[in-house]
Amino acid sequence: MTTTTTLRPTDLAEVRDAVRDTPGRLAVAGAGTAAGWAGELGAVDAVLDLAGLTGVITHNPGDMTVSAHAGTPLRALTEELAEHGQHVSLDAARIADGATLGGLLATADSGPSSLVYGTLRDLVIGVTVVLADGTVARSGGHVIKNVAGYDLAKLLHGSYGTLGVLAEVVLRLHPVPKRTATLVVDAPLARAAELAARVLEGPFEPVALEWTSDGRLLVRIEGTDEALPARVARLQEVLGAGATTPEGDPWTRHAELTRGAPDAAVLRIGARPSLLPALVSELAPDAATAGLGTGVATVSLPPDAVADAHTRVHAAGGTSQLRSRPVGADAPAWGPPPSALAVLRAVKTALDPDGRFGPGRFSPWM
Amino acid sequence: MTLHGGVRQAFERVLDPADVLSDPVKCRAYECDGLTGYRVCPDLVLLPRDAAQVAAAVRVCHEHKVPFVARGAGTGLSGGALPVADGVVISLARLKRVLEVDPANRRAVVEPGVTNLEITAAAAPHGLYYAPDPSSQQVCTIGGNVAENSGGAHCLKYGFTTNHVLSCEVVLPDGSVVTLGTDTGEQAGPDLRGVFLGSEGTLGITTSITVRLLRTPESVRTLLADFPSVAAAGDVVSDIVAAGIVPAAVEMMDTLAIEAAEEAVHAGYTVGVPAALVVELDGPVEECDAQFEQVKAICEKHGCTRLHIAGSVEERAKIWKGRKAAFAAVGRISPDYFVQDGVVPRTRLAEVLDRIAGMGTDAGLRVANVFHAGDGNLHPLVLYSAAAGETERAERLSGEIAELCVEMGGSLSGEHGIGTDKACSMPKMFSEDDLAVMARVQAAFDPHNLCNPGKVLPTPRLCGERPGKYRAHPLEESGVIERL
Ligand SMILES: Cc1cc2nc3c(=O)[nH]c(=O)nc-3n(C[C@H](O)[C@H](O)[C@H](O)COP(=O)(O)OP(=O)(O)OC[C@H]3O[C@@H](n4cnc5c(N)ncnc54)[C@H](O)[C@@H]3O)c2cc1C
Repeated sequence: MTTTTTLRPTDLAEVRDAVRDTPGRLAVAGAGTAAGWAGELGAVDAVLDLAGLTGVITHNPGDMTVSAHAGTPLRALTEELAEHGQHVSLDAARIADGATLGGLLATADSGPSSLVYGTLRDLVIGVTVVLADGTVARSGGHVIKNVAGYDLAKLLHGSYGTLGVLAEVVLRLHPVPKRTATLVVDAPLARAAELAARVLEGPFEPVALEWTSDGRLLVRIEGTDEALPARVARLQEVLGAGATTPEGDPWTRHAELTRGAPDAAVLRIGARPSLLPALVSELAPDAATAGLGTGVATVSLPPDAVADAHTRVHAAGGTSQLRSRPVGADAPAWGPPPSALAVLRAVKTALDPDGRFGPGRFSPWM
Repeated sequence: MTLHGGVRQAFERVLDPADVLSDPVKCRAYECDGLTGYRVCPDLVLLPRDAAQVAAAVRVCHEHKVPFVARGAGTGLSGGALPVADGVVISLARLKRVLEVDPANRRAVVEPGVTNLEITAAAAPHGLYYAPDPSSQQVCTIGGNVAENSGGAHCLKYGFTTNHVLSCEVVLPDGSVVTLGTDTGEQAGPDLRGVFLGSEGTLGITTSITVRLLRTPESVRTLLADFPSVAAAGDVVSDIVAAGIVPAAVEMMDTLAIEAAEEAVHAGYTVGVPAALVVELDGPVEECDAQFEQVKAICEKHGCTRLHIAGSVEERAKIWKGRKAAFAAVGRISPDYFVQDGVVPRTRLAEVLDRIAGMGTDAGLRVANVFHAGDGNLHPLVLYSAAAGETERAERLSGEIAELCVEMGGSLSGEHGIGTDKACSMPKMFSEDDLAVMARVQAAFDPHNLCNPGKVLPTPRLCGERPGKYRAHPLEESGVIERL
């Protein structure tokens, strides 16, 4: 085995120099909260650790935009923005573990509120990336509305460090809701799906609508102090007498389930919401979260069941990717290749012709 | 006609020969889009009837290395659908089927020639609608919207086309057919759909689009407010944002725009006031009511001289009619005009409008302003008279305004695209490296540069050789970014 160097750049110039001056294959590391997701990283010559590339570059409260170094933990950014009553509308469980902006973007991670706010690809308005040849390129800008040029920030979303190193990220912000409420009702999956459909048909505007395999449906709404109590009451009428707004954080269990147990493989799947309950029941009725409005679920499986799970999800027209897996376990990260595989490979070749970044992450696709 | 007969025959083999237009008179109808100053008559116009024919036609283009330009309704305002010499136009106008409306999953699958408003019409019986609403929505196609990543007044709250398209079936420039995106927001691998959206027809032709539908909001409240100055109206927008309110729409019009709109549609705007704001809130009735009171109070605080609240659906429609008519209405107060589209950080609105007014005075031309104030997207209308020989001056002023937006930390375009019009201004906003990387991505999709060539990125042929010596990027000068 060759030794692996670790480089710790603290600004854009150092990232560029590190990429340009270090020969061979490189991995990019953020906080390490998703280091084991997707395809297993192959042998690399150096690791670019971005834990020191942190901090806000510009925050314009009046424009509701912020730019920050990619190694900034979103948790830290949230704290800084809170005093202005603003936040990044992303609620992936991993944020609490210290996940960085770059890491969250590169893994296309998102949480329950993607029902309304979308994923980070919907919130990112600009990026600065360093390519394998040391080129520093920007796309997008610092304004929310902007159609000038190709939107390369999107390309980096879900790229798992294989196309370039994210150095700076510009995001649009939302006001922190004045008030939030989560209604919880005990319901097996089929019943939860029925209730969810009724909530979605009504004027309730839920920001999250998730079932957890401990048999509960969670419905989150946000709004103003004046209006929220009446909305909670109306929602309660639809969800039935059993619906309550419990003390404490009702989302803790949800977050645990998306992380999965250490001895399980965790698969993230997406399918048309109407198809999701059947898929989840088939795959892991006892260890899952199911976004009944988003169509996104996280299921925990024995590693040897992963290959079959990929096949089933794809048969339903869905997508799947492996998140964590038990140490040493062998489970395929990806399902059947997308129809656009040739384009994906061409883009990879265009940006990283020597395959320096993130070897193995998209194995066996590329 | 420079395409040789063999190429035409090849198209006639894959399409009905009657769907291959070569008569210059007929082809002339396709020589420009909404930016009528640029015209190129295509050699051939193809009118495929379904996705398979689009793919077959593109394969012929690929085989014979014939450049092609996709065309929707031709309402684009940046010359995106401008034909290329010795090339063909592929019109998607006949791909007009709504393939599926799926209320349970709140989505629809449509062909690219379906108009923006037809999607909402198909969804409406289910209490659903398609959110992005360009003013041209009665005629522009969803294919064009995807290509331009079109916006509209309500995108402030709901986002742009890119936020509402789940997936696209795309014919790539080599004629192969792929799906970009998935059935959900979840992706497996880099977001290629996101790159395709807003790529202005340069990465392929979309033949089927899956869009998200939203539930029609329970309550909608709209007001029209007059202000003694543009700055006061701007302060209202700032205060609304600072209060944590996200309106569905905030639109501003200045004196000239109001005058023109009133003359055209009599929508009840006050002629002579320096600025008018349209603010719309939507959502659950309780939220809407609570926030509407706050918005009214903010308007009063900033010296609003008249507050008109839409009391009915008809009154609301009338307010919007005035706003949406403003572009075309300018034709009533000026023989000719250019529509500009630029973005500034919203907090710099008053400043940029001052600068624009000054530039107009210097150029001896009037500029009317209609804009999406909530997101800083300006649409300055430069008024001129071609007959009086003002065209060049007006064009220069319009271009300078777009570049001013970049200097202020904004963008060359918020929704109309770069197209032919602004390709040569791209170096004002992006460095050579930035543009080179975009070109690499473009070439990954289209290695032979057949798909709408000459758009978006500057070319030496179009823009002349390298633009002079290095000068600092505006964002760099203002300390927002650093160069290495
Ligand atoms: C009065 C008026 C008001 C307008 N208001 C707005 C507004 O509020 N917001 C806004 O964003 N825009 C607005 N526009 C601009 C224009 O309507 C939009 O850009 C619209 O999306 C263009 O659609 P189209 O079908 O006319 O496309 P076209 O003009 O035909 O084409 C536009 C671009 O799309 C490409 N294209 C077309 N179809 C496809 C396809 N199937 N696959 C790939 N590429 C394709 C073309 O090659 C071209 O580059 C307005 C225009 C007018 C005239």
